[in-house]
Amino acid sequence: MKWKNKVSVVGTGIFTLLGIAYIMPILIVLMNSFKKKVYINKEPFVLPTEKTWNGLENYLTAIDKYELLSSVGWTVFITVGSVLVILLCTSMCAWYITRVQGRFTRGLYLLCVFSMVVPFQMVMFTLSLVADRTRLNTPWGIIIIYLGFGAGLAVFMFCGFVKSIPLEIEEAALMDGCTPLRTFFSVVLPIMKPTYISVGILETMWIWNDFLLPYLVLDLNKYKTISIAIQYMKGSYGRVDMGAVMAALIIAVIPVIIFYLSCQKHIIKGVAAGAVKG
Amino acid sequence: MEKAMKRYMPIFVLPTLCAFILGFVIPFVMGVGLSFCEFTTVTDARFVGLSNYVRAFQDTVFRHSFWYTALFAVVSLVVINVFAFALALALTQKMRGTNIFRTIFFMPNLIGGIVLGYIWQLIFTGVLEKYNTALGLNEWYGFAGLIILVSWQQIGYMMIIYIAGLQSIPGDVMEAAQIDGATRLRRLFLVTIPMMMPSITICMFLSVTNGFKLFDQNLSLTAGEPSKMSEMMALNIFNTFYGRTGWEGVGQAKAVIFFVIVVGIGLIQLRLTRSKEVQQ
Amino acid sequence: MKKRKVFSLLLAAAMAAGVMAGCGNEEAPSTGGDSTETPDEEGTPDDSEKPADGKVYYLNFKPEADEYWQALAEVYTEETGVPVTVLTAASGEYEKTLKSEMAKTDAPTLFQVNGPVGLASWKDYCYDLTGSEIAGKLTDDSFALMDGDKTAGIAYVIENYGIIYNKALLEEAGYSAEDITNFDSFKKVVEDITSRKEELGFSAFTSPGMESSSDWRFKTHLANLPIYYEYKDEGINTTDAIKGTYLDNYRQIWDLYINNATCEPTQISTKTADDATADFVTEEAVFYQNGTWEYNNIADVGDENLGILPIYIGVEGEENQGVCTGTENYWCVNSKASEEDIQATLDFIDWCVSSEAGVNAMCKDMGFVIPFDTNLESENTLVNEANKYMAEGKTPVTWVFSTMPSEEWKNGVGSALTTYAADQTDANWELVVEAFVDGWAAEVAATK
Repeated sequence: MKWKNKVSVVGTGIFTLLGIAYIMPILIVLMNSFKKKVYINKEPFVLPTEKTWNGLENYLTAIDKYELLSSVGWTVFITVGSVLVILLCTSMCAWYITRVQGRFTRGLYLLCVFSMVVPFQMVMFTLSLVADRTRLNTPWGIIIIYLGFGAGLAVFMFCGFVKSIPLEIEEAALMDGCTPLRTFFSVVLPIMKPTYISVGILETMWIWNDFLLPYLVLDLNKYKTISIAIQYMKGSYGRVDMGAVMAALIIAVIPVIIFYLSCQKHIIKGVAAGAVKG
Repeated sequence: MEKAMKRYMPIFVLPTLCAFILGFVIPFVMGVGLSFCEFTTVTDARFVGLSNYVRAFQDTVFRHSFWYTALFAVVSLVVINVFAFALALALTQKMRGTNIFRTIFFMPNLIGGIVLGYIWQLIFTGVLEKYNTALGLNEWYGFAGLIILVSWQQIGYMMIIYIAGLQSIPGDVMEAAQIDGATRLRRLFLVTIPMMMPSITICMFLSVTNGFKLFDQNLSLTAGEPSKMSEMMALNIFNTFYGRTGWEGVGQAKAVIFFVIVVGIGLIQLRLTRSKEVQQ
Repeated sequence: MKKRKVFSLLLAAAMAAGVMAGCGNEEAPSTGGDSTETPDEEGTPDDSEKPADGKVYYLNFKPEADEYWQALAEVYTEETGVPVTVLTAASGEYEKTLKSEMAKTDAPTLFQVNGPVGLASWKDYCYDLTGSEIAGKLTDDSFALMDGDKTAGIAYVIENYGIIYNKALLEEAGYSAEDITNFDSFKKVVEDITSRKEELGFSAFTSPGMESSSDWRFKTHLANLPIYYEYKDEGINTTDAIKGTYLDNYRQIWDLYINNATCEPTQISTKTADDATADFVTEEAVFYQNGTWEYNNIADVGDENLGILPIYIGVEGEENQGVCTGTENYWCVNSKASEEDIQATLDFIDWCVSSEAGVNAMCKDMGFVIPFDTNLESENTLVNEANKYMAEGKTPVTWVFSTMPSEEWKNGVGSALTTYAADQTDANWELVVEAFVDGWAAEVAATK
């Protein structure tokens, strides 16, 4: 027993070091975000000194000049909006196509599965064209694009779950005179809660971090997501303000960490569940 | 029940269906069509048969990007899965703080590819400068950099899947093996790994497809330097399409080829998982 | 523990601010959306002669002028009520941005091509500017970009580039501009400065940054010189197959740049033009290859300290060579835009080069020399320094880089230059030659 304890202490020690090493990259960026821009590339691994300290200047530049907070705002808006719409629409759709058997629903299901494997490059140009012609090139419109392009995975996962719900409960509800709509919201939806969480988390991770789709679809004069804003800063104007880039990276990571720490249990469960089905 | 539901079809299915047609079906069909055309902005598309495909296959950079990507997918598959599996094994032992460690290892997975790329670019540039060289000077620096980056990003994710798999192994199987006097190593290879096969297949295919589809990280970390030698397929397609006038059709044709490859991998996965299920 | 709390508070504050900014912005676009509609409502009543129906969307090529264009656009909108949007592509991204923007419904009404090569891909989108008011104001017909009989583009700025130098530092090293009359004398000065680098406290050259946002200084501008001399020898002004007669000269000057700079040649792939500007402004280097457009960024050095030298590459008779003078900025009006938008765009560009506000912005704020009869005396020291060579009767080097076959070609040369810099072997230089000569032919064939 004693020997075992020792092993576990040593293990904890090793993993503590490993854990620190693991978050090091973020800490290095954080440290550099407080340095004056010319010193960042010169000595990235040295703590800021009095000479190189730049306080919150870099953050102010990133926020003022590159309007980073509005990018954060748009990214939050697009992510939350799209995920909610995807969850609602695809779960209803999935319930319908699992419960109503027919050539149409079968075909739709297969098409959804098929769409999951299609790489984005395949449709990048045509999708941005469709989005432009249908005026879906706004943060509101892009929600519909995300619903369309993200439907595959969501429908697939919901279908997998619906199949495991015993029919009797729903049938009982319908017998009682509930409309299918009511049945769905008061019976099916509560049972599917865990799946909602898994799907929601997978879709959130995808949309929050997505770069190419919003880059090609959104009207960049008006709206940029965080990833787009950072890519613009780096490629921007031949003169890259490394200080502002560092600050921007930190600003981009912060919401993720907050989101993660506040619902990490769900996230980890969601990922595990999602993977086993997918 | 079906009859009652059918009347509600528009409410249940239509929103998703419309968005799906708009966001996937139309672009996909158009994309396939345009791969046989020459065009700059679609309005001027002209049918040119298979010539885009011929040009795509003749493009040495594209062929290089294919092998580079394939190698990347394989190497990242091995690295990610070995480390993730080892971590999962370690973090399911009795030890203090396993939950915190899981939390830490998983975290990078939530950070976006563009952001990841620039975080690591700072670090690699700083390290390589000490050796008087730079990331953009050698395609294998970029390769190693990308491997480190995706490992950092995905190990935590795969680890979570493996942990879920490990925890679902029934305890009595392990106990039986222990009573039989099997050593730790034998237990690992004869009991744990076979029982974990479903998780392993899932993780392997996830990492291969992720490797093939890698774009954001490639764009932000190396942008294809030097001379497009570290350009992977997805980035090559993007650059062909948007970077070169007169090559739009070729870019679209490359995308179709890319799509076929990715679907091929998906089909193999389906096959394997199916046959595994039968065995169990 | 305390620190952690403070940090988490900061995070929370940042988040809250982010969300609020997001909300605040949600209103902004709706006014932006309105602007496309309002002209219909209010455009007609007051002036029936020139209804403000159209709108202007300018896809700007010059990043350094971005803020001035934004400001000028606002002034114009205030004055006339015509909405003007200016989008600037990140450097090196113009072609990509133009392509994706042109595919949109609200495509740019005003865009740029860099010369004949750029025109070739966009000529179907160029409105014929023959007889337009702005075309009539050009000081010389050669500033119009022709596509057959059609005036497809109009140059709006004439620029110079060469080797900008810091007079005070050069003096400190014991030299003056008169000592530099050709490549050999230049090389002597540069190498002398490098040998006394520690003692002087500065290097000869700023870092020759080859980071993809900044490598145009060498893959395009410096590469202009060997091409220019080859064209001159052959008596041509464009070609489908470059011979590379002067590539050894190109190598000489490149060697000089990379081995006498503020940074190691292996590090240039990570350096940007911004780093070079910083080197120059902080007086860590004497020479900086760049152009008159850079004036605003380096003005801190002091007008009296700024000079510009021709780029000598060791060609016979180069003592009479001036700085590189030309343009790669042609305005084109999108012919596929609606008639109102075309008219609005024509009015806008004409206003830019004729109204006081427009000319002031272009000549003073942006520091341009504009090829129109309204051009003002320049306040840009670099422009005036460059003009001295003209006055002395030296031959300016024309900008022939607009005949380079494609961006792809430039990128190929740029990457090869970077590789060569890190390991300066003949074999690696062969790769530059290959990218230059074979790449040229291949790209001409590929884009035909």
